[in-house]
Amino acid sequence: MTNLPAARKRIDPLLLLENWFGSGVRLIGQTLILLVLTVKYILRGEIDWKEVWRQCYIIGVNSFVVVGLTAVFTGFAMSLQIARELVLFGADTAIGGVVSLALVREIGPITAGVMVAGRVGSAIAAELTTMMITEQIDALTVMRIDPVQFLVVPRYLAAMFMMPALSVYAMFIGLLAGIQIAHTAANLPPETFMDSVKQTILDRDFTVHFSKSWINATLVIMLSCAIGLHTRGGAEDVGIATTRSIVWTMTMIFVFNYIVTSLTYAPR
Amino acid sequence: MNRTKASDDAAPPGPMIEVIDLRKSFNGREVLRGVSFKVWPREMLGIIGPSGCGKSTILKHLCGLLTPDSGQIIKRSDEVGLVFQGSALLNSLTVRENLALPLRHRKLSRAEQDRIIREKLELVGLAEYIDAYPTQLSGGQQKRTGFARAIVNDPKIILYDEPTTGLDPVMSTIIEDYMIELEHKLGAASIVVTHQPSTWSRTADRVLLVFGGRVVWEGNPDEALKSDDPYMRQFAHATREGPMEAGKV
Ligand SMILES: Nc1ncnc2c1ncn2[C@@H]1O[C@H](COP(=O)(O)OP(=O)(O)OP(=O)(O)O)[C@@H](O)[C@H]1O
Ligand SMILES: [Mg+2]
Repeated sequence: MTNLPAARKRIDPLLLLENWFGSGVRLIGQTLILLVLTVKYILRGEIDWKEVWRQCYIIGVNSFVVVGLTAVFTGFAMSLQIARELVLFGADTAIGGVVSLALVREIGPITAGVMVAGRVGSAIAAELTTMMITEQIDALTVMRIDPVQFLVVPRYLAAMFMMPALSVYAMFIGLLAGIQIAHTAANLPPETFMDSVKQTILDRDFTVHFSKSWINATLVIMLSCAIGLHTRGGAEDVGIATTRSIVWTMTMIFVFNYIVTSLTYAPR
Repeated sequence: MNRTKASDDAAPPGPMIEVIDLRKSFNGREVLRGVSFKVWPREMLGIIGPSGCGKSTILKHLCGLLTPDSGQIIKRSDEVGLVFQGSALLNSLTVRENLALPLRHRKLSRAEQDRIIREKLELVGLAEYIDAYPTQLSGGQQKRTGFARAIVNDPKIILYDEPTTGLDPVMSTIIEDYMIELEHKLGAASIVVTHQPSTWSRTADRVLLVFGGRVVWEGNPDEALKSDDPYMRQFAHATREGPMEAGKV
């Protein structure tokens, strides 16, 4: 293949677009197949629970601090804006309701999803890519152990447990931040804030909250595992796979977040 | 020869592995162009040839990591142990957990599983490292752990990909001795792929020289060193003059 370097130097925009588009379509296909295989193993009950708990611990430890920090500052900034506007209209008592709506429906799941994508998804993509390159996945296959059952199933189940926990936690921290801001900036007592929350939040908001967390868990684990299990090459490909997983999971989290929102809350 | 050795085994006579006209292309380039050979029980087959001629590709077909474009692979046992060139130990697991992987399919008690793992680790002199992680081992120790993992199930087929490349001469000899010992102890059919003349000449009962995607020479190691076949002579004496051009496979 002596003509390879010369071919690489020529930049053909159509070819670039085709490669870019083709690899995206391929990844979506690989992700869907991986999801089907994973669900099949889970339904068959072929689950290594010890490994599931270990992964829960890894996902939790990696994420609680960053999710908490992100949620508290998002909560501060958002509540400040909301409080400022509502005070102008004399609607101080509605601050709690508006802040909590935003937290339950949007900010909680998004914050947890994005942070888990950044910390856990990228780590999984890097780990699995390294395992591919160093033939650890081949070794599993030779030992007749399915990499999907061995590696993907425990990570997926762990994320399905931990993501809702992290979303609820983000919502809760954000709410505390909101109470604090409402109290200092708008002089609103916490009880008034909480009354407004209770009047505004419906069961449906929690259904949406949990649906979004489970969708986010699926996106993070399936995309990063699919990227990891289909990358070949050398050490530099670990970095490429990591970046690719972050870009894809974060983008897809925002896309699916909007899809769920538009399906449930669009004005009719 | 080995055929007579095989006949005193309880298993029915016949090859453990038979490869018939194996062909494989990668990205339109034909790497294997019709490779055929047999390996008998209690026989060690050496596969040698220039870098990139497809030796690892042959082994990967034998353990199911690759599927042939055409040709046939007949194995008399599904228990295949592959010693990877790079050890391929799972870094997130300890030595013990790595060795337990091939045992997962057998419903063994914990004690029984532990006994087998200890026995194999003792065979490669690593019993005290049972709870270490692969990154805490030296390269040679990792290679020996890879050995132990490949044989923990007493496979009837053992494949070695460059088991001694990059090791010091003493360690190479130790590994070669293990290989010979295992061949006799387990009654296995083995294939060793190697660039080290000392390894194939000491361990192999029969040697194949692969070039241009085909087997160009076959014989026992003594014949290999004395052969006046142009390919084998060039390879055995490491000369530049001959039918194999540098870099061409
Ligand atoms: N998965 C793959 N995709 C594309 N090409 C491959 C793949 N695996 C092997 N090849 C090509 O097949 C050829 C043979 O590779 P192989 O690894 O079998 O060589 P080898 O004889 O083991 O060499 P070495 O002695 O250097 O280990 C090489 O040219 C390699 O580029
Ligand atoms: Mg090789």
